[in-house]
Amino acid sequence: MGLAGFEVEVQRHENGGLATEDMTLSMGPQHPSTHGVLRFVVRADGEVMKEAIPDIGYLHRSIEKIAEKVGWHGFMPYTDRVDYVAAMPCNQGWAMAGERLGNIEVPKRGEYCRVIATEFSRIHSHLLSVGSMAMDIGAYTPFTHAIREREYINDLLEELCGSRLTFHYMRIGGVGWDLPPGWRDKSLAFIKRFEPLVDEFNDLISYNKIYTERLANVAVITPEDAVDFNLVGPNLRGSGIKYDVRKDEPYSVYPELDFDVPVGRGEMGAVGDCFDRYIVRMREMKESCRIIRQCLAQIPSGPVIAKVARNFKPPAGDCYIRLESARGDMGWYVVSDGTSFPYRCKIRTGSFSAISIIQKLSRNLMIADLIAVIASLDLVAPEIDR
Amino acid sequence: MQQLVDSLLGPQASVPVWVAYFGAMLAFGGLVVFGFVLPIAGITTWVERRVMGRIQSRIGPNRVGPAGFLQWLADGIKNMLKEDIVPIAADAPLFKLAPYVVMTGFIAAFVAIPFGGPLIIADLNVGILYVTAVTSLVVVGILMAGWSSNNKWSLLGGIRSAAQIVSYEIPAGLSIFPIVMLAGALSMQQIIKAQGAAPWHWFVFENPFTFLAFFIFFVAALAEGNRTPFDLPEAESELVMGFATEYSGMRNLLFFMAEWGNLYVIGAIVTTLFLGGGRLPGGLENAPAIVSIPLQFAVFFLKSYFWVLVAIWLRWTLPRIRVDQMMIMCWKYLVPLAFVNLLGTAAWMVVFPSGLEAMRIALFALAVVLGIAFLIRVRYHLRRAGLRRDELSFNPLAGARVPGLG
Amino acid sequence: MGLGAYLRNIKDAAVTIAEGLAVTASHLVRKPYTVQYPDRLPDGVRVQDTLPFRYRGILEVDLEICTACLACERACPIDCIVIDAEKDKAAGGLVMTRFDIDMAKCMYCGLCSEPCPTGAIHHTPEFEGADYSLESLVRKFVKAPVLAYKPKKGGETDPEIAPVLERGMRYVEEFAVNAEGPSEE
Repeated sequence: MGLAGFEVEVQRHENGGLATEDMTLSMGPQHPSTHGVLRFVVRADGEVMKEAIPDIGYLHRSIEKIAEKVGWHGFMPYTDRVDYVAAMPCNQGWAMAGERLGNIEVPKRGEYCRVIATEFSRIHSHLLSVGSMAMDIGAYTPFTHAIREREYINDLLEELCGSRLTFHYMRIGGVGWDLPPGWRDKSLAFIKRFEPLVDEFNDLISYNKIYTERLANVAVITPEDAVDFNLVGPNLRGSGIKYDVRKDEPYSVYPELDFDVPVGRGEMGAVGDCFDRYIVRMREMKESCRIIRQCLAQIPSGPVIAKVARNFKPPAGDCYIRLESARGDMGWYVVSDGTSFPYRCKIRTGSFSAISIIQKLSRNLMIADLIAVIASLDLVAPEIDR
Repeated sequence: MQQLVDSLLGPQASVPVWVAYFGAMLAFGGLVVFGFVLPIAGITTWVERRVMGRIQSRIGPNRVGPAGFLQWLADGIKNMLKEDIVPIAADAPLFKLAPYVVMTGFIAAFVAIPFGGPLIIADLNVGILYVTAVTSLVVVGILMAGWSSNNKWSLLGGIRSAAQIVSYEIPAGLSIFPIVMLAGALSMQQIIKAQGAAPWHWFVFENPFTFLAFFIFFVAALAEGNRTPFDLPEAESELVMGFATEYSGMRNLLFFMAEWGNLYVIGAIVTTLFLGGGRLPGGLENAPAIVSIPLQFAVFFLKSYFWVLVAIWLRWTLPRIRVDQMMIMCWKYLVPLAFVNLLGTAAWMVVFPSGLEAMRIALFALAVVLGIAFLIRVRYHLRRAGLRRDELSFNPLAGARVPGLG
Repeated sequence: MGLGAYLRNIKDAAVTIAEGLAVTASHLVRKPYTVQYPDRLPDGVRVQDTLPFRYRGILEVDLEICTACLACERACPIDCIVIDAEKDKAAGGLVMTRFDIDMAKCMYCGLCSEPCPTGAIHHTPEFEGADYSLESLVRKFVKAPVLAYKPKKGGETDPEIAPVLERGMRYVEEFAVNAEGPSEE
């Protein structure tokens, strides 16, 4: 079995008498920059990699199985843990599944609250993504600045739902709490403060020559490859394909909101390189600010949750929910058999497809570039393993 | 320093002169190493951590001692008390020897580093050449560390570092040549004496080629010191700690001390070569020794330490360069430019044998203008971030935020 | 690469690096964001007091207003609440002999506090719950068998129970499911 835990084909070359062998490295589960507990078995020739094989499963927590045991309402806190970096969209996925199966209509105000929460979560997640990407490339300062901004969002969401990471904000039928008094002004103050800071972040690191040299033309994903490998979200949009579930298969109140979908244009190199994926995320943060402003201006009054039984028993059937999480098109396939426990829940996450493309992308890349690729694909281990 | 000993001994010598010189060198050397170099290396870690903290919107260490000043002592004691782990499959003799080789290379440079005025352990007549040569000894140490750790990641780090340091010797050396040509000597004290006290009499503003040579030398020296943006050998996000991954305790600390002390060496060399050393305006230099020597020491130290702060500032601003890009930058950008500087300075010396005062003043004015433009840009960033007056603090030891009110 | 591109590379590098340095230098004069918790807070400031009312910290049960309806026990997805309640004719109602919450299992989701009719079980802003043994994390609220609370028509008049009930109801009314009136914004 050897080092890898599975067979890795090591190639020996006989060069006129001097035999050389590929080096097999394990970029192991404990590593400062694999964004969670991931492992890559790297077959390299010095600095240049021949292949990087991902080895996942270190963070598998059987969340989908747990759904069958805790019931419809009880599973909502677990959805936070599916992707704890962007927890609100996961909440929304499960809530929408329950509503679709139970034929429940969410009040308008509830939908607006959901959108505000989801967009804040998107900013939250993208800040972590770009911050840790900068840190992996070697600039430690933008990471701390991003974390500082996340603290402001943490404070806002803490006031809204009582928790800073595992929000459990949404319920089947709406949301759990209404906007507290004064929250709207605080959010607007934050957005007003945050937008120039995105520009400052860009000045500090995004267009820095060293940074762009590290990211431009590295790991170019062509649009065909992106579609073949099932990439979604900023990974897909970075390759030039303008597809966003919020625009193309709208749900909730997104049809009433006006926003753009940033797409990678090959500013610093080829279309679909690491820089494009990175800059798409930076721009998405600004778009999310726009959305939140509109929502706070347009939000109607009314109830925020529909009446749902405590012992929720949707009729038998199945549904597939698609929504735009921070990491892309997140799919929730939920089967109900009419009891108060779901029959099956299957979650399809963007990071899972993204990790499958690494093996192909990593050919003839340097080890330093592998780090950039992992960071630019915005992999989070909890989403991959669930 | 010879003069210092001579003046102290006086004409009557009860001990042979060479014994006096040797003893003075040992004493001064010991004083420099234990009283200056090691504390500076430690204090620079404190300065770096506090500056790093403010740049990152947080405070640095502030628990151990006033404003965390004793943190480096605490770290030193902690490291001495740590278990000394030598991996079982590692090459033990090489593994244990490597940190000492690195430290030797670094400390030996201090023999020829001036401290302002007549303070120098030995004013070798090949001063700058000696310093450049001896600081390359660290390559051997790093390669030993990388290889003997029996760890593929350490090996990668060691090899990267060897390639880096050896490559960047070339532009560093080439940038020294214009200065040596202008001063007419390799000796550090002579180079200082060839410059004046006023900023426009420093070698950096002598002609546009030395101005460029200054930047090339600074970049190359950063690369030799394994500092970001050139810290690939110890790239934390890739190789955990590069060549020093398997080291624990005091051995690890020796590597770190060599890195931070090297910053001071870089600053000192830059000050000597380009910024006029510890030169004071005419009258002050001729003042009695009790006045002029501390003043010259202070001037030299402040100038060198400023460059340490600049290196720290650069480290926490810039990302890391990849290995092949580092090589490209060295061989395709720095080396040709350094050659241009060399030939340009030589041509300049032929055309203007004693330099052109107008050019010196013009370059100095240019530097001042660039500095002011930079400060205006800093103010623009502060404005754009929309900070209120009470969110700014010019106090370097500013305290923390109060929750619920911030 | 032509000379133009070469020089442009150098110029780009110098300009963007200087821009980055300017941003970093501007941070040197900004106040740090750190809160020196827990020992260097100004006098009288407790982080727990600055947390919002909805904060989901450690669970607390006000036994005076607990009606022993067992709604929280049913709602908890992890089964970390264990209540023993029996009908006791002599005492005149439900008597609780056990109300244990295993905080080691609790995931602070708030599902138990939502259905509580009086707000007896609620989250507090307390978050410092670390201890040395797993057993000490089980919070036992019933010291001696206690009669369950019966909500009185026309409001609570007992001066000891009224404030507790008021706080409990305020907590529960924060939840959207119970909000009947017009919303805030």
